[in-house]
Amino acid sequence: MLFWVYVVVAAYLAVVVGIELFSERAWKKQIAYAMILVPLILRVLLIK
Amino acid sequence: MTLKQEGRSYRHIVTAVIIVAIFAIGAALASVDFLAMHRPDVIHPSAGLTGTGMLSDYFEEIKGTPGDTKLYFYDSGVPGATVLLLGGTHPNEPSGFIAPVVITENLQVSAGRVLILLQACASGFTCTDPFEGCPQSYTLQGKSGPRKFRFGSRVSNPLDQWPDPLVYLHYPSGQQLSGFETRNLNRSYPGRPDGTFTEKVGHAIMQLIEAEHVDVAFDLHEAAPEIPIINAIVYHEKSEDVALGAVLELEMEGLHYSPELSPVNFRGLSHREWGDRTGAMPFLMETSNPIQGRLRGRTNEDLIVKGVSERYKQALESGALRIEYLPEGEPLERRVGRHIAGFKTILSVYNDAHPENPIVIENLPSYDELMANGIGHYLQ
Amino acid sequence: MSLELIILLAMLATFALGVFVLKVPAGVSLMAAAIVGALVGGEGLPVRHLVEGGFGFLEAILIIASAMIFMKVMDATGALGTINYALIKTLYRWPTLLLIVIVVFVMFPGMLTGLSSACILTTGALVIPGLLAMGMPRLAVGSLIAMAAVFGEVAPPICIPVMIIGGGVDMPYIGFAKPLFLASFPLAIATAVYYRYRYLGTFDITTVLSRLKPPVYDKHGLKLFIPLVVVVGYLIVEQVLPEYVPHLGVPLAFMIGALLGFGTGEKFSFLKVSRSAIRDAMPVMAILVGVGMFLQIMTLTGVRGFLAISALELPQQLKYLTVLIMPFLGSAYASASVIGVPLVFVFIGKNEIVVTAALALMAAMGDLMPPPSLLCAYAGQMVGEKNHFKILRQSILPIVAALVVGLAIVIYAEEIAHLISAVSGSSY
Repeated sequence: MLFWVYVVVAAYLAVVVGIELFSERAWKKQIAYAMILVPLILRVLLIK
Repeated sequence: MTLKQEGRSYRHIVTAVIIVAIFAIGAALASVDFLAMHRPDVIHPSAGLTGTGMLSDYFEEIKGTPGDTKLYFYDSGVPGATVLLLGGTHPNEPSGFIAPVVITENLQVSAGRVLILLQACASGFTCTDPFEGCPQSYTLQGKSGPRKFRFGSRVSNPLDQWPDPLVYLHYPSGQQLSGFETRNLNRSYPGRPDGTFTEKVGHAIMQLIEAEHVDVAFDLHEAAPEIPIINAIVYHEKSEDVALGAVLELEMEGLHYSPELSPVNFRGLSHREWGDRTGAMPFLMETSNPIQGRLRGRTNEDLIVKGVSERYKQALESGALRIEYLPEGEPLERRVGRHIAGFKTILSVYNDAHPENPIVIENLPSYDELMANGIGHYLQ
Repeated sequence: MSLELIILLAMLATFALGVFVLKVPAGVSLMAAAIVGALVGGEGLPVRHLVEGGFGFLEAILIIASAMIFMKVMDATGALGTINYALIKTLYRWPTLLLIVIVVFVMFPGMLTGLSSACILTTGALVIPGLLAMGMPRLAVGSLIAMAAVFGEVAPPICIPVMIIGGGVDMPYIGFAKPLFLASFPLAIATAVYYRYRYLGTFDITTVLSRLKPPVYDKHGLKLFIPLVVVVGYLIVEQVLPEYVPHLGVPLAFMIGALLGFGTGEKFSFLKVSRSAIRDAMPVMAILVGVGMFLQIMTLTGVRGFLAISALELPQQLKYLTVLIMPFLGSAYASASVIGVPLVFVFIGKNEIVVTAALALMAAMGDLMPPPSLLCAYAGQMVGEKNHFKILRQSILPIVAALVVGLAIVIYAEEIAHLISAVSGSSY
């Protein structure tokens, strides 16, 4: 149960990071957002 | 909005899409590797195998989960002792897995029976630990061709137990350890039926020991060369006579093992909890594994198999640290050879002490044979 | 020159180039440094290793993101401003006491969670506006909060670096409270007193209060503090009586606290608050992903082992210098694991609990140091200083003091153990 709650939390954070990535105007910062997105998404997809 | 402004906003979306696409390709490539870890290792048991089961036969609740794992039975049909051999408690300790694989693929039993759980922490074989830079597998040349084995994590996969607490509170002692250890099978005994994923696996193993009336139980490990308890046999106080007898006998064969009494106040370990809570005599053995060490140089498959680390050699020569490392390296055949020699000798000493309840095993290579012929010679 | 040294220099040069010349975020520079390290080390582009390294601090990333959302909610409801206002209004007559209370207050989340960044994100964020309003220079405020975060990470009851070292040498986490107290509180109080006399001048309380956000206590009453009480209460109970409360984990506790914010104070939009939180937390989260990649490539290419052996091979008479190298690994956890564990063996013969507590202090200072300078980056973010290395420079004196104290505890570990057992009556 707790596991799935954390998956939801990670998914929510991934969505917010994604929104920020596409709202960000500086490409250097977009890279930083993309870096954060990878572990969040792979965890939500139960790959790693 | 002016055209210029529109142009600017369009540009940042384009860069975002490009960046996301690049990272998506990277993540996809990595995912292929991560998912490959879920393919099981292929084992070819010897003709002595009399049956197989699953760990979940002893605790239904882990059935179908990544914690369930195969149990191999070698029953001679002749009354005698029951021996349990646990491999892969820590999937990043290859000799603790390959020694039981060699045993599984060669063993004949003529009195008593041997039960083998090759991948006690099956979940840990499905991932590697961040920061460690370890390979995901290594290849040994078997008789029938190359055999690939997974190199895993010290603990259960976080996909099977998440999140870790900041502090792991061992059940039932309340002992505190760092949160990471909550997924360490060898800190989780006796486990509990309603506990975490790893505690459930620990509980299932305790149930197995009880249900099968195990007399002697082995848990095979490796440790970094700088850890003091290494090339050692760790024993519970009730296994003391057998352990000390075996250490003496091995010494006469030219193999040095330090006997280590299981600390009473360090809870959750197999040699402590199995001994305290079941009828089994537990033994845990450690060999020296450079790929676990903090001083190791380049981390790759060679380091697992050949066990040669220039950095450890340097540390040995300079005396910077007390380590257990041979100048020529700690190859896998040596580590596996030590485990098998320890296994055979402990059982031989046990037989001397318990002639009424014998365990007679055959067809396992000696230490010298393994060193001379290599592991592959004893793999199908 | 060994290949490992060449790899390390290439990685550090790439990092410096990224941060100082190309002006890309530190996290991105760390990733670039990791890629260059792998290429120079002959590993090609090891994508799996890079991604896996990025997972190393996933728990910390979740904690930072959720704590940030929680604090933004507390700010939006008005709870933060109200507490800050009350704290200064109550204690402004005794500025020395005020600064000591503030430092211990900032340390508190670190004491409970073992995470230094939690201190800056939560209680640190709470006191920063007050300190700035009292006229303390920006850099001094950032430095004070960053140092308090380090001491909070070391202070008992929870010290993760000790647990990491303990995990490496099979030492249970028992008997550390007093040595950890000794390694953290005196330094924290001394730092508070130093900053009070060095940087806090006289101030007019009316002006200070007028610069702060007005309190909204009269409008919302005690319910304003419900989320804070629930989160702090849960974190305390989870540590003190873990057998009686379900394990939720720190991120979930913060998320629940954030959701509880609805209806307790001023209105807010959860998505807007979350976006603002993620924007603020982005540099540090990216550093955590980048430093994970950096560490993974260091291990893969053998640089980690090279650093560890170089530290341990210093001449006998200089072996204590190895302890001083610990902070320079740039991460408390990495330092505890890579150098802390072997060092416990180097100092065998001295009281290992006291030695480990001191090593935890040295390791914790790694969170301040480059390449990532995590705590300085965060403190810089909070006080509005873009160049977080200025915060590091500002902190040199307390860092040196902490290094001296940590080293002294290692050197006199036996004597300190005797002293603790004489005072407390328990054996060490």
